[in-house]
Amino acid sequence: MTWIAIRMLTGDRQKFYGLVFGIAFSTLLITQQLTIFVNLLNRGATAVHNIATVDVWVMDPVSRTQDVIYPMPSTALDQVRSVPGVAWAVPHLRANAAVRTPDGDLEGVTVVGVDDSTLIGLPPTMIAGTRDQLLLPNSVFVDGVGRTRLFAEDAEPIGARLELNDQRAVVRGIVDVDPSFTSQVVLYTRYSNALNYVPGTRNRLSFVLARAAPGVTPEELVRRIEAQTGLKARTRTDFAQDGVNFIIENTGIPINFGITVALGFIVGIAIVGLTFSLFIRDNIKQFGALKAIGVHNGKIRMMVAAQAGLVGLIGYGLGVLMATLFISIGGATSVDFKGFYTPWQIPLLTLLGVTLIILATGWLALRRVLKTEPAAVFR
Amino acid sequence: MSGCATVPDNGAAISVTGIARDFEAGGQVLRVLHGINLDVAAGQLTYLVGESGSGKTTLISIIAGILYPTEGCVRVFGTDIYALSDRQLVEFRLNTIGFIFQQYNLIPTIDAASNAAVPLIAQGMDRLEATERARVMLERLNIGDQASKLPSQLSGGQMQRVAIARALVHQPKLVVCDEPTAALDAKSGRRVMDLLRDVAVASDRSVIIVTHDNRIFDLADRILVMEDGRITHDGTEVPAHER
Amino acid sequence: MALFRSRPSFSRNILPIVAVIGLAVAAFLIWRGLPDRQLEEPDETPARATGALANAPRVAGAGVVEPSSEVIDLGTALSGLVTAVLVRPGDYVSRGQPLFQVDDRDVRARLLEAEASIREASAAIAEARAAEAVAVRQLSLYRDIADPAAVSRSEVIRAEGDASVSRGRRQLAEAQLAAARASRNRARVELNRLVVTAPISGEILRIDVRPGEFVQAGQQGNSSTPYIQMGETRPLHVRIDIDEDEATRVALGSPAIVSPRGAADRQVRARFIRAEPQVVPKRSLTNSAAERVDVRVLQLIYELPRADGLFRVGQQVDAFIAARPAAVRREGSAQ
Repeated sequence: MTWIAIRMLTGDRQKFYGLVFGIAFSTLLITQQLTIFVNLLNRGATAVHNIATVDVWVMDPVSRTQDVIYPMPSTALDQVRSVPGVAWAVPHLRANAAVRTPDGDLEGVTVVGVDDSTLIGLPPTMIAGTRDQLLLPNSVFVDGVGRTRLFAEDAEPIGARLELNDQRAVVRGIVDVDPSFTSQVVLYTRYSNALNYVPGTRNRLSFVLARAAPGVTPEELVRRIEAQTGLKARTRTDFAQDGVNFIIENTGIPINFGITVALGFIVGIAIVGLTFSLFIRDNIKQFGALKAIGVHNGKIRMMVAAQAGLVGLIGYGLGVLMATLFISIGGATSVDFKGFYTPWQIPLLTLLGVTLIILATGWLALRRVLKTEPAAVFR
Repeated sequence: MSGCATVPDNGAAISVTGIARDFEAGGQVLRVLHGINLDVAAGQLTYLVGESGSGKTTLISIIAGILYPTEGCVRVFGTDIYALSDRQLVEFRLNTIGFIFQQYNLIPTIDAASNAAVPLIAQGMDRLEATERARVMLERLNIGDQASKLPSQLSGGQMQRVAIARALVHQPKLVVCDEPTAALDAKSGRRVMDLLRDVAVASDRSVIIVTHDNRIFDLADRILVMEDGRITHDGTEVPAHER
Repeated sequence: MALFRSRPSFSRNILPIVAVIGLAVAAFLIWRGLPDRQLEEPDETPARATGALANAPRVAGAGVVEPSSEVIDLGTALSGLVTAVLVRPGDYVSRGQPLFQVDDRDVRARLLEAEASIREASAAIAEARAAEAVAVRQLSLYRDIADPAAVSRSEVIRAEGDASVSRGRRQLAEAQLAAARASRNRARVELNRLVVTAPISGEILRIDVRPGEFVQAGQQGNSSTPYIQMGETRPLHVRIDIDEDEATRVALGSPAIVSPRGAADRQVRARFIRAEPQVVPKRSLTNSAAERVDVRVLQLIYELPRADGLFRVGQQVDAFIAARPAAVRREGSAQ
């Protein structure tokens, strides 16, 4: 009977492709928009994600995210190192500064100061240059945004000189990091250099990055640090989430994307629902005949389920493929999409949405079929 | 009261006792069948003839197990069909009854052989085997060469022959036909009815045809005439005024 | 039901296959695209508390290596041109060993002058003594004559006067000798002072003087740098700054785990010497010229064990010290 059901469906090409298109379009819209949304939100946590070697971030109690910082006195580093369970801790500086480009333009940058001797805090991968070149005097690394923003297309950034707070800085590498939410240029340098590059305030230490000793969970370490030092400590995942939440709370992005996703869902329901019920109405006599001949409601349900399932499979498969291709190609070719990826949860979420669409429209259509009296075929 | 509790099984192929049926229309209860009693023997081609609204379609629906009577008892080959559960009744129809509809009700997107094989497929037979049997049946109905065509590629007579094949492919004991020739011209209708009579009528099978097509009355073994929910004539010929 | 028994249908066979392949491709793309958020191990880790302190109450601090004598800034007692520098940085000198020489030609000339004066005074003394002897003998001759008429009174008086004068001349000459000797001594002392010597045994840490340069006595201070810095580097000490918030937690007297910046894996145990009585404003250890921090620190002095070349004076170190066991702070006290 399933075979008959599939034939019934695919024989009506217009409606079949209408259904497939409806599901594929909904899938594409929901998946793609959710993915861009999640990735935009993740931009609020790139500073955390870019540092893979620490699991606890310690900051002043009023600091909120990677960019909303109230600096601490430099002794905070020793306070954190004093906490049992801290394997090691390094200072980390994030501050805004203005840089003079080789062309003479002024560009706002985020200066990141990493630990002087170990360079912990530096992103792991480099596009150009090697990590140890940061140990040279006045050495800075720029990120991909900085490569495009500070230098002309054909200019060679390695070896270029910048001016920061009346200090000379020499670009000696390009690091491979995802841009931040504001896409601001990021300059990496050593902590002691960073102090010179950033106009002076009394306290300068933005974060202390700590690593839990073996056997101590980051959560437990956070508790210990907060209890002993009175500073605010967050695990890596929590702090990344803080950055994401900050964007959610302070921008209209969730509403915008929520509306688009809801639209995708509604359009999907509308297209699929209308087409499916048209299809069922066209075939209601055949269904009635089948019921009279002796096909019971369970089999009828299976038939409609098979029809909906086929439409769902094809539409969802094509939609997800298009959405992931879009993100993959976009992420590989565009700076704006750099680092974008499709979280595996989103296709599952879309699957849920598509399933809902199919269940709702299939149920509506099925109700009609089930209510058809077999005796109606004789009238 | 429907049911056969007080009605003994008289051994007839189809036994209808005291069937009445009410319909509700606009808040009024309309009785369309008034205590029909009828026995039909196996091996017969029975016509049910009457004006529109005489109740013949209601009666045949009740006999075919797709419409519950308000009162009375229906036995089909000894089975009290309205004592069966819904599920059992559906199974019973599937295994025991063949249907031929006025509008054929073929599935337009599958070929003739597959359409004819639907009851077997619904019974759970493998699709290929079912289709093969359906082809054999189509051969017997002289349209074996059309087996791979879609219904839309067939003429009305051919479609009806496919529908007959569908009704007979699973060897049902009872075949019910609703106006099988109404949509056909005289010649095609005649040929379809000749074939139906040749192929369908067998010693262990009853065929009941609802029709008012007087061109084919001569094929019947028995003709029942209905008026206003009652059987007014029962014989081998139609009464003269019906002609 | 086998696929493609008859001609494959686009919508029934190909599309579902395309959809399934699409799903597989999408799954692969998603899997490949997932970012790696795993924790990684850094190539090099900073200072970490090890051993017994790894999971025990502890206090961390940063410090600077210094000589056990602290750094001695050497100046010169006398101004002048430097004629020779007798040591090199890193030399280990013993107490009193000459370090550099200031131009002494002038003093040597004065010494010669004084010695000439001594000889001159000695000759004068000899001459005065001879004259005095003659005068004394003359006088005693006159005194021994009993007859007053034999010698006139005036003769006697003149003889007495001669004797007195000649004594005086001798005394003058003797005084001149003493003066000349004193002058010579002074020149000798100055000659010594022109050689700057080591006040203690120790290592020469820095030399900022070269032959031909002019050294100024008694300045020391604001703009100028000391000519030579030295200190006792056997053993080295380390001065560890502890945040005043943490200071009460330190278990005074317990050893410290110390590692130099940049070589966190090479740790040594340092012996407690003393805590400075005074809590002082934190001196910047971050190389920033303009750092102002309103934090005061307790300074602890520890003695470093011998570790060949691992520690050098002025080097920054990270240190971990055991904390007092019961010293658990109230939450939020630092806010």
